[in-house]
Amino acid sequence: MGRAAITVEGLAKTYVVPVREAGMGAAFRSLFQRRTREVAAVDALEFSLEPGEVVGFLGPNGAGKTTTLKMLSGLLHPTRGSAQVLGFVPWRREHAFLRQITLVMGQRNQLVWDIPVADSLERNRAIYRLDAARFRRVKSQLTELLELGPLLERPVRNLSLGERMKCELAIALLHEPSVLFLDEPTIGVDVTMQRRIREFVAAYNERTGATVLLTSHYMADVLALCRRVIVIHHGKLLFDGQLSALVASFASHKTVSVELGAAARDLSSYGEVISREGGRVVLHVPKADTPRVTARLLADLPVLDLVVEDPPIEEVIERVFAGEPAP
Amino acid sequence: MQALRVFWVFAKLGFQNEAAYRANFWIQIFESVLNIASAVGAISLVFARTDSLAGWRPAELVALLGVYFTVYGAIQVVIAPSLTKFMEDVRAGSLDFVLTKPVDAQLLASTSEIRVWKLVDLAFGLAILWYGLSGLERITPREAAGFALALVAGAATVYGFWMILATCAFWFVRLDNVMQIFWSMYQAGRWPVGIYPRWLGVILTALVPVAIAVTVPAEALAGRLTPQALLLACAVAVATLTASRWFWKRGLRRYAGASA
Amino acid sequence: MSFLRDLYAALIRIALLVEMQYRASNLIWLIGMVVEPLIYLVVWSAAANAQGGTLGGFGPHEFAAYYLVLAAVNQITSGWHMWEFQFRIEQGQFAFLLLRPVHPIHGDLAENLAHKLAMQVALLPALGALALAFRPHAELHAWSTALFPLALGLAFAVRFVFEWTLALACFWTTRIMAVNQAWFAVLFFLSGRVAPLALLPAWLRALADALPFRFMVSFPVELLLGRVSQAEALSGLALQLGWIGAGSLMLWWLWPRAVARFSSVGN
Repeated sequence: MGRAAITVEGLAKTYVVPVREAGMGAAFRSLFQRRTREVAAVDALEFSLEPGEVVGFLGPNGAGKTTTLKMLSGLLHPTRGSAQVLGFVPWRREHAFLRQITLVMGQRNQLVWDIPVADSLERNRAIYRLDAARFRRVKSQLTELLELGPLLERPVRNLSLGERMKCELAIALLHEPSVLFLDEPTIGVDVTMQRRIREFVAAYNERTGATVLLTSHYMADVLALCRRVIVIHHGKLLFDGQLSALVASFASHKTVSVELGAAARDLSSYGEVISREGGRVVLHVPKADTPRVTARLLADLPVLDLVVEDPPIEEVIERVFAGEPAP
Repeated sequence: MQALRVFWVFAKLGFQNEAAYRANFWIQIFESVLNIASAVGAISLVFARTDSLAGWRPAELVALLGVYFTVYGAIQVVIAPSLTKFMEDVRAGSLDFVLTKPVDAQLLASTSEIRVWKLVDLAFGLAILWYGLSGLERITPREAAGFALALVAGAATVYGFWMILATCAFWFVRLDNVMQIFWSMYQAGRWPVGIYPRWLGVILTALVPVAIAVTVPAEALAGRLTPQALLLACAVAVATLTASRWFWKRGLRRYAGASA
Repeated sequence: MSFLRDLYAALIRIALLVEMQYRASNLIWLIGMVVEPLIYLVVWSAAANAQGGTLGGFGPHEFAAYYLVLAAVNQITSGWHMWEFQFRIEQGQFAFLLLRPVHPIHGDLAENLAHKLAMQVALLPALGALALAFRPHAELHAWSTALFPLALGLAFAVRFVFEWTLALACFWTTRIMAVNQAWFAVLFFLSGRVAPLALLPAWLRALADALPFRFMVSFPVELLLGRVSQAEALSGLALQLGWIGAGSLMLWWLWPRAVARFSSVGN
């Protein structure tokens, strides 16, 4: 005990990309010169995960999340830095390492398209050398947890996107890996199924103690599953800690909603008016001023109801991405 | 004349599209040279061992090869890519973009994609044709006219045949590589249809209009075109075009009905 | 070892299931595989007839025998690795293969074998029908017929290892189909497809003997049809083993470099 499941130090990945410009002249020149530039997809990342943690990896498109996951699962060599997963160096791709991890990619399927799901599972059984008893046990556990019963005998091409995703999870977990890399697992899936997948991941983590590193666009995923988040943007680590701390650090204002007994007057002296509908007004008030402003509102106006809230987390994250410093 | 205007627009678009990938030009040259070298190599191997093949002399066979590659290039420039895209559209359900335009759907579907660099194949074909002709006796104006007519009839038949194959997409959505049948059999066109036993020759002509498209025009150049053959070629061309148009209309009706 | 047996059993079974889904496509491929030998069968028969009935020891019926056996051998030794690799890279499927604790070559070998098994169902009857039409004639000997399955298996191995290794070029270029076409052009001339190797001019014949292509397709055909002596048969088998060794060495050298290339560029 005590050994971290995942350790990352100074991890960096730089790509060389060709530069292509528009126009006939540029196209002609490109025949003779190859112009390239370097893009730092990931830049000096540093973090570590304890066994059993479920950590959310947040960042806008192109932030470097998928690149990091690919490095940690051994698919990419970093340009600089080091990483260790379960004591292995991922990009050495040792078989013992590969048997203990899994990578689920939202838009890609490892299931075989034209044949029933059960047959794809059978193939992975052989590939991962699972003996018959173990295979049966894990398969029935996953079938139960993911409600796969009616799906197993159907060819993958006949499944809806959500059903396919459930089956992808099943086949990815067939070999009982201890580290799960989930790259946008709920993308494109309907809201109900997103919730079911989240519940599954949480239940799986509880049952098996697997370490989970999850990337997602959807705040709901992160909110539901992860107490800890790592925020990455332009390849750089922006924040690593508890989600609540993120809001506390980066939210610059609070949302104050008042319901007034009489017709609303101009409340702009109290804060930035966001909306006004009949007697209901919503204000953005700088965090530091909030106690004073609420006291004034209660004293000055016929307030029926007053609610003070943190801004929606999406907004906070956006601020983090925009690189605005913590107030 | 609107048809010509539409075609010209597609041609310009196709060129602009592909001019962005000039590396493809060199790859195309490489592939065409390889293709032709293989075909010419095969002919030289055969004529290293014999000096006539079912009555055809080397220069006549080269001329035949020239017709083969010319027709091949013409198909590859516009017909093949457009109709392949059309079949994809049917499968993906994006045919509606074609059907809601104020232009005849068959015309649009047949000309929507133009692979400009395939003109290289066409150019090489013409070059080989020229080379083959130089080894033959001068052709009379009458023979030249016969050749031109046979070539047009052949091109029309091939187009009609492709159209019929592609229209099948309205019924059999999963037929990805049906065109592969055509290409496999089109290879037979490198050799005069006369070498095949009668039954095979009939199958080839009936199933895939190879004979009509390639051998008949070549026969004209070799001075052995019979009026019957020419008449047959024209009749087959007219029949195929009419059948393809009728088939297309039926397919369209089915498609519209199905998606309602 | 039992792991490999178990693995291949499962992989081949799954691959066969997939093959069942592609019956129509497979039939179309079959037409393609049979048409070319048929064309050259007819071309050379016509040439022989123009030369008074035989050409280089082949008459029309000998050509029929040669090309029908060639069609089968060519189909059995064939592969589509370059298409497959290009598809995988475009669709991002390669990542999954590299995440598995087995070498990707096993999956491809299993799929190839399954495909051949499935195809025989249609190929053999088709060739049988053509045999009825063209009446092949050949002199078979007991010893060469007995060695034929071995030569066929070795030919398959030579061709598989070379084509799979060549497909790795996908990691360095997007123009793999141009490479593919060049490869097939060489096969066309040097593996006995355009003409039986015995009918090639001397310099081409020498080239064919020095390169592996003859041993991918033509050699088993020559062996079965009694066109090689016993000494030549044995040296041919030895050369097949040698080419398998050379190909395997290339693969052993290239594979880690291909993975390194993939993992520096991604997808």
